[in-house]
Amino acid sequence: MMKFKAPIFDIKNLDFRVKSQKILSNVSLEIFQSEYIAIIGPNGGGKTTLIRMLLGLDKPTSGDIRIFGKKIKNFKEWHKIGYVPQRASHVDSSFPATVLDIVKMGRTSQRPLFGSFSDEDEKHVHDSMTKMDVLHLQDKMVGTLSGGQRQRVMIARALASSPEILILDEPNTGVDMVSQNRFYALLRKLNKDDGITIVFITHDIGVIADDIGRLFTINEKATICNNPKQILSCDEMSELYGREAHLLHMHKHEH
Amino acid sequence: MEMFEYSFMQRAFVAGIIIAILASISGTFVVLRRYSMISETLAHSALVGVAVGLVAGFNPLWMAVAVAILSAWLIEYLRSEFALYSDAVLAILLSGSLAIAVIIVSLGGAFNNSLFSYLFGSILSVSYEDVVTIAIFGSIALAALLLFYKELYFIAYDEEVAKTSGIRVKLLNFLLVSVVAIIIALSIRVVGSLLIGALMVIPTVSALQYRVGFLKTTLISLGFAILGVSAGMTLSFYFSLPSGATIVLCVLFIFIVSLVANRK
Repeated sequence: MMKFKAPIFDIKNLDFRVKSQKILSNVSLEIFQSEYIAIIGPNGGGKTTLIRMLLGLDKPTSGDIRIFGKKIKNFKEWHKIGYVPQRASHVDSSFPATVLDIVKMGRTSQRPLFGSFSDEDEKHVHDSMTKMDVLHLQDKMVGTLSGGQRQRVMIARALASSPEILILDEPNTGVDMVSQNRFYALLRKLNKDDGITIVFITHDIGVIADDIGRLFTINEKATICNNPKQILSCDEMSELYGREAHLLHMHKHEH
Repeated sequence: MEMFEYSFMQRAFVAGIIIAILASISGTFVVLRRYSMISETLAHSALVGVAVGLVAGFNPLWMAVAVAILSAWLIEYLRSEFALYSDAVLAILLSGSLAIAVIIVSLGGAFNNSLFSYLFGSILSVSYEDVVTIAIFGSIALAALLLFYKELYFIAYDEEVAKTSGIRVKLLNFLLVSVVAIIIALSIRVVGSLLIGALMVIPTVSALQYRVGFLKTTLISLGFAILGVSAGMTLSFYFSLPSGATIVLCVLFIFIVSLVANRK
């Protein structure tokens, strides 16, 4: 992977309002290649809104977003960004899709108009299933999998497009503890071994505090914490979460 | 077989099989995108085209295709641009279209068997021109579906993730509703506008009961639709039953068998 020295995401003075209600105000952030960033903040604080704007799903009220140096409206290489949404582990159980069907979706946008999947596409699909340890499940219907397995399938789909950055929006809702720990280990590996930039919205900051490089707290405004290991005693945390900060602190000690 | 000695039955069978292929393949996307009510609404909008055609002396099938496409675009536009309850929008357009069609036909003095055959379908009325129209537009619609089926499948599974991966979701949504509109308009000659929605939805819902992957689901749905249409037309011929209703009852029977056979 070629190292991109300028920020992958360069966000300046971002505002987002719904009617008169401010969701985000004056958010400026930079995300560099191979970083592991966690985003935390209270529900309704604007975390998901920020991610949706980075992915081009919502337009900011004002401000500027650049991706790989290009203005977002001119950016076309969306396959460089893998996205695992909040509802990743919830699947409509009647949807007719095998694990292989789902992971192949990750290559769909790179497929030429008149053609089926190439050998290269098949290789990427195979590799990403191997990496996420779901190759043995490839012919299973996705609706029959456990929450943890589905979560790994969704990441395999995101990886199939060979992304340089992976954005995950609390994908572990409804997943058991063992699967969650395995999931964190996989993310760590993707970041350390493959150099994939990871942006991870989570409430479970205590568990990944050792893995992450920087922490963004989003509660209408953004605060950047460059030393996340100290975050648990940060004043901003208590301000942000109130009582929850105390609980997070205890969570950290359990691990 | 005796029924194939009649040229009208040969035409009806050719048209019916083409429609079964089109309705079942597009039906897979219609059901997975939860567009079932859109197909019902488009079927009623197509009737406005039929009414204009009957009164003004144009080819009703061509007019049905044109009006159904316009209606499909209107639905997609309203759904994407306005925060309206989408099922309410469909209900309004469905009854509104039917009302307009009936008024046009009665003002033009053409409220007769002709319109009745478009409401419920009639194998007796399928002309050679109809078969040619169905084959031409049907090939275009099928080509569009096959060309973009991977993208449409991804969108059906998760529209937002598809969009973030660079797929042009809005454009493909318009394409899908346009293709569905064409297929519905073509089908109302044989199955009837009140019954075509069933031919689109029931074979796919039956196939979904087998809980297999996408390709197999589409093939099972295709098989069921061809079986339903062939059986329906055969029964319709030998027992002098209305074709559309008989076809729908046949696919309904297949659905019940599939449901019972795959009960958990």
